[in-house]
Amino acid sequence: MTKLSDSTSAPVIEVREVSRSFQSVQKKPGFRGALGLLFRPEKTVHEALKKVSFSIEPGSFNGLIGANGAGKTTLLKILSGLIPPTAGEARVLGYEPFLRSIEFRHQIALVMGQKAQLWWDLPAVDAFDLLRAIYEVPLPIYRERLELLAELLDVKRHLHTQIRRLSLGERMKMELIGALLHWPKVIFLDEPTIGLDVLAAHKLREFLREFNLREKATIILTSHNMEDIERLCSRVLILRSGELIYDGEPTGLTGKEERRLRIRFLQRPSLDELSECAGIPKEQIHFTHGTEAESLAAHLSVRQGQIVPILQRLFARFQVVDMGLEEQTLEAVIQRLYEQDRIQGDSRP
Amino acid sequence: MTERLSSPLARYFEIYRVQLKNNFVREAVYRTNFLTSIIVDLVWIATEVTLFSVIYANVPVIAGWTQSQVFFFLGIFFASDALFTTFFQRNFFNFSDLVNKGDLDILLTKPIHPLFLILSRWMNLTALFNFFMGLFIAFHYAAPAGFPGGWKWLLLVFWLLVGLCAAILLRFAFAVWIFWTDRNWALVRLYYQFFAFATKPDAIYPGMIRYLIPTVLPFAFIGSVPARALLYGLQTWEYFALAFVMLGFLGLNTILWRKGLRRYQSASS
Amino acid sequence: MNTALDWRAATLKNGFRDATAYRVEFFSDIVGSAIVPAAIQLVFWHALFTLGGATEVAGMTFTDMIHYTIVSVLFSQVRGGDQDFELGEMIRTGTLSNYLLRPVSVVEFIYLRGAAPRFLIAGLSLILGLILSLWLGGASPVRVCGAMVMAVMGNVIHYQIGAVLSTMGFYWEDAYSMLMVKNLVVSILSGELLPLNLFPASMRWIWESTPFYLYVFGPTQYALGRWTHLEFLHHLGIALIWMLGLWFLIRMTWKIGIRRYLSLGG
Repeated sequence: MTKLSDSTSAPVIEVREVSRSFQSVQKKPGFRGALGLLFRPEKTVHEALKKVSFSIEPGSFNGLIGANGAGKTTLLKILSGLIPPTAGEARVLGYEPFLRSIEFRHQIALVMGQKAQLWWDLPAVDAFDLLRAIYEVPLPIYRERLELLAELLDVKRHLHTQIRRLSLGERMKMELIGALLHWPKVIFLDEPTIGLDVLAAHKLREFLREFNLREKATIILTSHNMEDIERLCSRVLILRSGELIYDGEPTGLTGKEERRLRIRFLQRPSLDELSECAGIPKEQIHFTHGTEAESLAAHLSVRQGQIVPILQRLFARFQVVDMGLEEQTLEAVIQRLYEQDRIQGDSRP
Repeated sequence: MTERLSSPLARYFEIYRVQLKNNFVREAVYRTNFLTSIIVDLVWIATEVTLFSVIYANVPVIAGWTQSQVFFFLGIFFASDALFTTFFQRNFFNFSDLVNKGDLDILLTKPIHPLFLILSRWMNLTALFNFFMGLFIAFHYAAPAGFPGGWKWLLLVFWLLVGLCAAILLRFAFAVWIFWTDRNWALVRLYYQFFAFATKPDAIYPGMIRYLIPTVLPFAFIGSVPARALLYGLQTWEYFALAFVMLGFLGLNTILWRKGLRRYQSASS
Repeated sequence: MNTALDWRAATLKNGFRDATAYRVEFFSDIVGSAIVPAAIQLVFWHALFTLGGATEVAGMTFTDMIHYTIVSVLFSQVRGGDQDFELGEMIRTGTLSNYLLRPVSVVEFIYLRGAAPRFLIAGLSLILGLILSLWLGGASPVRVCGAMVMAVMGNVIHYQIGAVLSTMGFYWEDAYSMLMVKNLVVSILSGELLPLNLFPASMRWIWESTPFYLYVFGPTQYALGRWTHLEFLHHLGIALIWMLGLWFLIRMTWKIGIRRYLSLGG
């Protein structure tokens, strides 16, 4: 195993054809069940990751998304060395994660939004002191970092408050500080904004962006909150049922060129008429359903440059009551993606 | 990355120091706990003492042990058990949650042996009161029990450590099964039921049982064997048995821990 | 129609299901907690009589002791249940509020839910006791049944005391430690670790002044024929007085406690 140099061009994470399957065991209740588990377990195999490959540049901010059970957390666990892949190869900072060498562990951080590592009954600063000892951060450097992180996250006045007395948002900020005190080169964030209100999530995002820019740490973040992805990630990886179905910029997904045009007519035209007049295929037109008034409206997917000419033609032919333009949200795109089949010829670099 | 100059041993000492400090702070926050936990401990000691007092009110000797000797044993037992309660009990108690809820994950990413982090996290410093109570009882009954004292008190330190190690090894052997079952309180209760046997000097057990329960499962090493060793000395073979059983448990626990961890990593998603 | 009976039956059923969801653990637990104290007792008697060479201790022979140990197991499993801890925990954590909204008595609800498996054990022990009495020939079935009635009353008293102690939780975060103290005291004064007549005369007042002897020692004495019917009725009367007194005490402490609980905003 050769350790990669720190030159900026070499990828910091390399994943080649990584697969991971689980044997879930059917357990019967009771001690006898436990014994049965030991001697003759009944197993069912579930494939959580299927031949996933990608590489990640140092200092980049990457989003990892997918529906529940798509394999996001499994991938993070493989990369942070908690579980081994069943096939394929993963390298993080040049290390094989699952060997969990001390050097490797010194350079990574894993934050799980649903799992706390701080002590409930103690102020955060005491937990940080423990992490300082664990990661052997020299005292002056530790103080400097704590100062900086608390400043950036705006929690200086809470450092000496019992964790249990903090709000969820403040607690998450403390978790982050705890995870960053050793200045990891690679940070894995598993749903860091889960359960946070809009404002707290926003603050956390601002901080992550700032930290990523300043310290050039490589970050992989999973989230169900599309705002996290849109605001932070220069690159997004989408998993569905264990397969990597998209790898590229988030803007590549929304199709910035595409707009949804909503038009309400006085009288409902036929689909053929509308398609012919607007000059777009029928598949790009959807009538809304519902009450009588609602059924008079149609949605047209059109390119940015076509909007004005199409509108002119429609105005000339039909009586338009009302109209509006909608941008495609990432959320809507992702939702469709989860449901759809694999994107053909995805935009892998 | 920062340079790490300290030796591994120094690092582990530093971590333990911080854990100790943090636990002290935590307990200082809940001061009322201090009093109540002392009351519970006192009552526990009182019940054990009462039990033997009642029996010795009827007979002068049980299986060759006088009342003073049994109280000497009880003192050592309480002291040894208090050490376990102070430094390990809660860590074992929380072990099942750590595995079941997957909180072990975070610990595995730290550059420290996970078992060290698991077993050093929680302390119950209040229980040290029981340690001193135990020592006090042992000291008080040492002379009437026929313990020569003097430099031999140093042996007590050794035997207390033996007792502590036995308790840790045993408790671990009962706790580690959580990797294979999601509810192991039946086993934990079994541990405490066996433990109840350890609260009596092993000399009163009839031959077979004495070797089966307190020696093969080294519950007797917590208090009985130390007390017997200090009062009468052990036979040579008993020293070998002691080392053999303890090392056996150490080996068994190591295997179970490794296998368990592997299972944890293959089952978690 | 008979809702007062309905919810009680439903509660018992629910508690029973809950306790026996893991059957193997349930029964291994009972067997374990029955055998361990009994085994320790037997070891003591072995050490006293066989190793120590005694023929009689406090008027009891080796055989007497063994009979006591075996029969006391039947009753030691009827006492207990950790409902009082549950009640205390609810008060401490505030989950009590969920129950206060229900149209039934919380104290009774918690009792019945936790007592359900004990009633099953009582039934099984009774059958076992009857078989034993016919087989040994010593004790009459009437005595065994009467003894079991006393043991079940002991179960109620045990919870009543626990409930009173739990209400301390309204004032004090660590009230559960008082429940632990109570259980420790019960373990020795109930007679499940040794026959209480081993207590020297000067120490008899200790167990006579608590109701704990009614849990195990009393029923065992009656079942083994060491109490006359009159003595039994006398102690049954004492049990009734305890139950009644504790019932009033719970009502009082609960009322005061709840007032404080509600005034603090639940």
